[in-house]
Amino acid sequence: MKIAFISDIHSNLEALRAVLVEIDKENISLIVNLGDLVGYNASPKECVELVKQRQIMSILGNHDRAAIELKFAEGFNILAYQALIWSAKSLAPEHKRFLEDLEHTRILWDRYLLFHGAPGNPDAYLSFLFQAKKAFNYMRKKTPGVRIAFFGHTHHRAVWQRDVRGKVSRLEMSQDDLLLDPEQMYLINPGSVGQPRQRQWQASYLIFSNEPETIRFRSVAYDLHSAQAKIREAQLPEYLAERLETGV
Amino acid sequence: MGNTYHKECKLKDGSVVLLRPLVAEDREGLTSFFQSLPEELRLYLRHDVTDANIIKSWTENINYDHIFPILAFAGERIVGDVSLHRIHFGWKRHIGTVRVVVDPEYHHKGLGTLLIHEIVELASEFGLEKLWAELPLEMPAAIAVFRKAGFSSKAVVEGLVKDLHGRNTDVVIMVCDIGTQYDF
Repeated sequence: MKIAFISDIHSNLEALRAVLVEIDKENISLIVNLGDLVGYNASPKECVELVKQRQIMSILGNHDRAAIELKFAEGFNILAYQALIWSAKSLAPEHKRFLEDLEHTRILWDRYLLFHGAPGNPDAYLSFLFQAKKAFNYMRKKTPGVRIAFFGHTHHRAVWQRDVRGKVSRLEMSQDDLLLDPEQMYLINPGSVGQPRQRQWQASYLIFSNEPETIRFRSVAYDLHSAQAKIREAQLPEYLAERLETGV
Repeated sequence: MGNTYHKECKLKDGSVVLLRPLVAEDREGLTSFFQSLPEELRLYLRHDVTDANIIKSWTENINYDHIFPILAFAGERIVGDVSLHRIHFGWKRHIGTVRVVVDPEYHHKGLGTLLIHEIVELASEFGLEKLWAELPLEMPAAIAVFRKAGFSSKAVVEGLVKDLHGRNTDVVIMVCDIGTQYDF
């Protein structure tokens, strides 16, 4: 069985559509969105509608929460804040209800932990070794039996591994299939669909197969100029359009 | 990058300030802000901010790619100014420099920390990895504000700079590692 993992769509409809076109070419059983469907870019309601229509399993991200509860938006920087206020105004009540119903942590098939930033906390980041160790410790204590977690938030692809001796390391990225060792634990981030930050602009996602457990990172070009034009038309900060091109 | 986007924030005493990027129309307000600063806050500034032509030049040459200035307003009045300075090429291309000035009436209300936090968050959005600040050793309150915002002292250079009156002063170099600001 194959699962497609997508994350950090951030209201980029063009990128989301391009990723779904690629996913539809494969024999995918389930699509999972790891949070931050809205924020930053200019198509929040269209992205919510598409995710609803495609019945994509979704996790709550910190931008999703801030768009429905604006008191959380105050903690964001001025660029992100502006986009959140705009998203909140654009979303209809039914879009907000969809976001309100999302959980920030979920376990899929009793085997795979899903969260946005860190287990139990959509705001926290998982970027450094000590943070990966904390996440693995959380899994061992709170979700025994779950070896693999999928997360987003950083907009960076990543695979963290914990071996049987407890040694945690970050694996080198590859475009090839990566076979997951059944004795080890993993934290896996597919990168961002709508605002990649790895100095390349293409939308990023991940295909996971469970028999045997393997992952493959993918990226796809999308209509960047149309996404940028919408940001400018919405009068969102110009930097939000520029950064899509540079992958920052 | 320039339009009228803004953000409202609450200070420790419950008062509200509005943060927004500097725009050309801020020339008069910014001139008044800097001219009203007491001399002790101007001792170590890099420019003669009492010169209206300096402020004119800043407001006429806004380039957010190089300097991203954010102003704090209490009503119509500017009460704080923080800026992020970036160099896009060379060995410091991943480092931003922070400069901040707060109206004395707004000291001890958390405005300095708020402004520096805002820059730390923005630096992350700009893909920067570290922030750099230089402070006179004899301003412990300012050093404490940077420390609260996630900076740590890396070095003290004795007698490095001269104040407005030509007195040599020790400088503290403070650095913020942006990635580690996002712990859980």
